[in-house]
Amino acid sequence: MPKETEYAIEVENLTKRYGDLLAVNDISFTVRRGEVFAFLGPNGAGKTTTVEIIDTIRTPTSGKVTLLGMDVTKKKHDIVPRIGVLPQGFSSFDRITVRETLQYYSRLFCCANTDIDELIELVNLKDKTKEQYMNLSGGLKQRLGIAIALVNDPEVVFLDEPTTGLDPRARREVWEVLLGLKKKGKTVFLTTHYMEEAELLADTVAIISKGKIIAMGSPGELIESNANYLALTLHSVDERTFEIVRKMGFEPIHDNHKNIKVRVEHTDDVQKILNAIKSAGALYLSLDVRKPNLEEVFLKLTGEALREDPPEMEAK
Amino acid sequence: MNLRIISANLVVKLTSFYREKSAMLFTIAFPIILILVFGTIFMSQDNVSYHLCVQDLDQTNSSAQAVKTLELSGTFKITRVDPAVNATRYVIENQVNLVLIIPKGYESSLMQRMTLNDFKASVTITYIYDPSSSSVATKMQILNAVLAGMNQEMSGYPPFIRSVQTSILTKKYRFIDYFVPGIIAMSVMTLSLFGTVNLNTELRQKGVIRKLSTTPITRTDWILSNILYQFILAVISTIAMLLVSYAVFEVNLHIDAWLLAFILLDVFAFVGIGMILTRFVKEAQSAAAAANAISFPMMFLSGSFFPIELMPGFLQTLAKTLPLYYVNEGLRASMVFEDNMAALRYSMVIGVFVVVVFILGIIATQWEEGK
Repeated sequence: MPKETEYAIEVENLTKRYGDLLAVNDISFTVRRGEVFAFLGPNGAGKTTTVEIIDTIRTPTSGKVTLLGMDVTKKKHDIVPRIGVLPQGFSSFDRITVRETLQYYSRLFCCANTDIDELIELVNLKDKTKEQYMNLSGGLKQRLGIAIALVNDPEVVFLDEPTTGLDPRARREVWEVLLGLKKKGKTVFLTTHYMEEAELLADTVAIISKGKIIAMGSPGELIESNANYLALTLHSVDERTFEIVRKMGFEPIHDNHKNIKVRVEHTDDVQKILNAIKSAGALYLSLDVRKPNLEEVFLKLTGEALREDPPEMEAK
Repeated sequence: MNLRIISANLVVKLTSFYREKSAMLFTIAFPIILILVFGTIFMSQDNVSYHLCVQDLDQTNSSAQAVKTLELSGTFKITRVDPAVNATRYVIENQVNLVLIIPKGYESSLMQRMTLNDFKASVTITYIYDPSSSSVATKMQILNAVLAGMNQEMSGYPPFIRSVQTSILTKKYRFIDYFVPGIIAMSVMTLSLFGTVNLNTELRQKGVIRKLSTTPITRTDWILSNILYQFILAVISTIAMLLVSYAVFEVNLHIDAWLLAFILLDVFAFVGIGMILTRFVKEAQSAAAAANAISFPMMFLSGSFFPIELMPGFLQTLAKTLPLYYVNEGLRASMVFEDNMAALRYSMVIGVFVVVVFILGIIATQWEEGK
């Protein structure tokens, strides 16, 4: 029997090369049992390569990965029945219905007494059980994919970009399902390039960029230690406001909607800025003040935006 | 090997097949159409009846009798041409390839010969023909033979040389009987090869294979369920072809366990080749092209459609290196000649080929990604 440790996943000095390309560069981290661990990073950062090495789809170039106390390169046979995987760009058999698909996957796992109805309930596909896979919308396909990943009641669930390509509503529906998993106490390894997703779901977030982990901790810790300020945004300002704020010693930045953003240390500073604008007779339409989020943490750590494009919308 | 996993795969594949109407069409209708089209062509060759235009310029009882004799020979369907028209123009305008002209004075010459024994008396029958027609030469040869027979009869002597035909087969077989086993071999090849290539490249491209690699299913389970699935399709397809062959052409074929054995060998061989192709061709479209590049020469060179004896020597040698040749010959040995020893020989050759290709196919099938 492999030794049971408090960690579900232990990764030591993991490296993966594809020819000249160094996709994962000597990373180490651990995932505790029962936590939701999110790998956050832009496309091409090495998220999928890492998760596919851990869930036994790929083999590492060097380094050691231990999953549930077993070496992933040597014990695939023993590991597979105890994990559930939703691979990136998941797809299934076109003409097989939702229920048949779940029955098929549960038969692949030995002795899995899957309660198909319970799974269907969990991912909220009750009305679609007789629908063929090809007729499902993107969000429904992903939810079915998550249900498939759960057919063997796995101890660790890997979800590789479960909401990429979904519209905001479908994404929130997938989040509902993932929050349900979290409640059940499953260990979940999630990759995403949506910071809201990581912030909402994850106990621990590892930010990955160019094959390296550049920061790791709970979303609160990451924000606290990397972005300890308030972000003040003034909407539809007139031309003088920017100068007024700059002369006060702050560093305002313009965005393309005639808004300016200012980082301030304390709430007092907000008051000071507003007073200065008021006394100068300058104008703004509205304002908001908020704590920074992981997006800003990422921007600060890497100097680049987490995603260049707004999330793709899906027609269906 | 895990039977529960294999049967789960089989259920999914057969369900998909049943729901995909175009696959059903390709599997069942296509081979049947081939049999119907080629069968009809060959049947008409077995039982030829030529269309013949005759212009009787003599218009006497004797000349009418001669035309009747031609008609009674059974080989010709006679159309009588008006003596007033120009025969050459008639050939061109009516798109017929031959008009036979009985000259004026036929009866008087005949009388001279028969009653006066005047051996100088004779008539000349003229063939007005279109040399660009491919069947006209055969038609004239047959006509010559029929006319020779009529001449011989008139002479009043019994013929000296007679002929009798003895087939090497105990039963009477027609070309369609040789053709059906060839079509079975070819259809099973096409189904297995394209089925394997299409299914695997599609599932790989869509990422289904990647998902499967995170379940307990092994490469062997996957391949075996593939084989079993292709075998079931091959049997369905063969049954459809045989039913049509019996119902429409009343073929005379011997069916025993060899038929199943050769279908199985055929499936193994071409699923194996399909697996090797899938390994090297990444895109679904180019995979289909590669499968075509393999199956087309195989179809024409290994004697599925016509006997390889008709081909030049080096092509015959080439044919004997093709696996489909041995399936064709094996099926004919068992279904037509009922020669178990020959069937065994052919099955052993294809058997060795199957083992080699199949091992290569298993090695070639990639399950985990990105080594």
